[in-house]
Amino acid sequence: MELTATSNPVLPFRVGTFETIWEGLDYAARGETGCNFFSSRGAPARSLPYSEIRERALDLALRLSTLDLPRGSRFAIVAETSPHFLIFFYACQYVGLIPVPLPLSINLGGHDAHVARLRAMLAAAQPAAAVASRELLPTLAQAAAGLGARLIGTPEDFDALPAAGGALAPFNKDEPCYIQYSSGSTMDPKGVMVSQRAITTNARAIGRDGLRLRAGDRAASWLPLYHDMGLVGFCITPMLAQVSIDYLATSTFAVRPLTWLQLISERRCTIAFSPTFGYELCLRRAAKANAMNLDLSSWRVAGIGGEMIRPDVLEQFAAAFGPHGFDRRAFLPSYGLAEATLAVSFAPLGEGVVVDSVDRDKYEFTRRAVPVKSNGAAQRTRSFVACGSVLPEYAVEIRDDNGRTLPDRTIGRICIQGPSLMEGYYRNPAATRQMKLADGWLDTGDMGYAVGGTLFVTGRRKDMIICNGRNIWPQDLEWAVESLADVRTGSVAAFSVDDDDGDERVVIVVECYFAEPARQRALVQDISAIIHRTAGVHCEVMLVPARTLIFTSSGKLSRAAAKARYLNDGLRAIDVGIDATPAYGFDAEQRIAAAG
Amino acid sequence: MEPEVESPEIDSIVSDLCDMLQRYNKEQIALGAETSLSSELNIDSVEVMDLIMEIEDKFDIDIPINLISDVETVADLARLVHERMKGG
Repeated sequence: MELTATSNPVLPFRVGTFETIWEGLDYAARGETGCNFFSSRGAPARSLPYSEIRERALDLALRLSTLDLPRGSRFAIVAETSPHFLIFFYACQYVGLIPVPLPLSINLGGHDAHVARLRAMLAAAQPAAAVASRELLPTLAQAAAGLGARLIGTPEDFDALPAAGGALAPFNKDEPCYIQYSSGSTMDPKGVMVSQRAITTNARAIGRDGLRLRAGDRAASWLPLYHDMGLVGFCITPMLAQVSIDYLATSTFAVRPLTWLQLISERRCTIAFSPTFGYELCLRRAAKANAMNLDLSSWRVAGIGGEMIRPDVLEQFAAAFGPHGFDRRAFLPSYGLAEATLAVSFAPLGEGVVVDSVDRDKYEFTRRAVPVKSNGAAQRTRSFVACGSVLPEYAVEIRDDNGRTLPDRTIGRICIQGPSLMEGYYRNPAATRQMKLADGWLDTGDMGYAVGGTLFVTGRRKDMIICNGRNIWPQDLEWAVESLADVRTGSVAAFSVDDDDGDERVVIVVECYFAEPARQRALVQDISAIIHRTAGVHCEVMLVPARTLIFTSSGKLSRAAAKARYLNDGLRAIDVGIDATPAYGFDAEQRIAAAG
Repeated sequence: MEPEVESPEIDSIVSDLCDMLQRYNKEQIALGAETSLSSELNIDSVEVMDLIMEIEDKFDIDIPINLISDVETVADLARLVHERMKGG
């Protein structure tokens, strides 16, 4: 099979100078680049130049127009990594319908939970029509039952609509583009309404300023197309710069992560992104890479985003794949969120991961990120990754709870301003008000600090635990607990509840995957001990059965849901026969010892 | 609930799968057609992906991961493998 070219021999390279998505596709379609889809074993399966994507999108748009749906009606698309997704997404652009990408499930036995999650999204978006492949249609139909969609079908069903009498009605630059569901818990999904202006502006900034896209760039991606990083970063932004993309299904990556690296090596890709855990999955299989003859020297931008960046994993990845041509300077930490369309800041290209090591006690007690001296080896430290400075035309401020701007190296709320901020969550003014500030800025909900214009992200504000005057970030506790041999990654929720005397106490809920009482008792003790070592606080440890904890629609553990269920006595604890709730609080001796 | 009557092919796949699952059987529970992969074997999400890869390699099939949300027991998994071997 012939794959799409890496660069256009004649058509001039234009990075994002378009005011609507379809203008960008019209332009890209004049060249030879496009999208390629690879099988689960990494073999080429389908290849569609942008010209063919446009042609098929236009044909479908004509057919959809015969449905006479009101302009701005939502069109739900189960976002498999497939040619159909691209064709339906772009067809909507030509006919004034708002596409709503929907997630897939890859959880064993997760059918019912997935249906519930889809149903909540569908109830919020109220689509007029919905499409899924033949395999996934029964699940979609089950989720959408009774919600009023006029048409639910396979791509072939929509392709069979008559084209006669149809007319195009493309979105103009002042209209919407799509709805992104990636925030909020499973049961309260929040759909970011992304406008044409927001997407074209952010894509231009990413392509021109963040990645400095150039002729000869080629993207590789396994990121789900229902996520902002997959959709904006590895579908729309490359298209608006006429860059070819090589796609692997997310599930292929999950089963065979090295296929991603193989693709980059064989197709000479230059740009690929992943959250830290994707690099971690590759590391688990690193031993198999030796037989693969990988050459990763073409990979100039190995982006990291989407969750807290863990520098130790990236360091191990660079060490393991350095012998295969990977250049650690290719690492590009970034920061963004769906509410800003995607990207807010990128580290400088070519510098790799830069870490700021700060004094852990000062960080926790004084909310200051004070760098450790090189001779301070005995100090407790905490490392944060530099996420660069904000893109041009964007601004970031670290603010306190009263909205005042904080000085450098003081931890506060990351607030942003820029041309691609959402106007709001779709039909959810209450959730919108929590994010949008009166002065037009957006409170990201994240905590961080700045140093000379460089942003460091330290955690999520709404989850922060304040215990005995100490600020504790729950992911720190979760990571610590996950480091225990008997605890699985992603099976821990840490949060605080208000104590009678107005203080907070820490609760750690851990899914337990074995039944022996003695081993459970030992685990509870180990968890208490490691929490104490990590944060210097006592905690209540609750073991719960496997698969008790709830995840958000983007796959993140929902601490808020765990806390709500804890408070409502909705969690069934495993009785381990010991009092797992020792005296709360912090005795003076420990406090002094910790403060040094 | 009455156990479903399975074809000999599926019985044979169940037996192969039980052998493969031993590696993930940390509690050394008895494995059979009705063993629940998630609640009894407690196989985690990363291990599931390892298992899928082994199954794909052993039976020379592709398993669309989207279909595993309907898999609860070893027998469910065997039926899925059987369908894919028939080119389903």
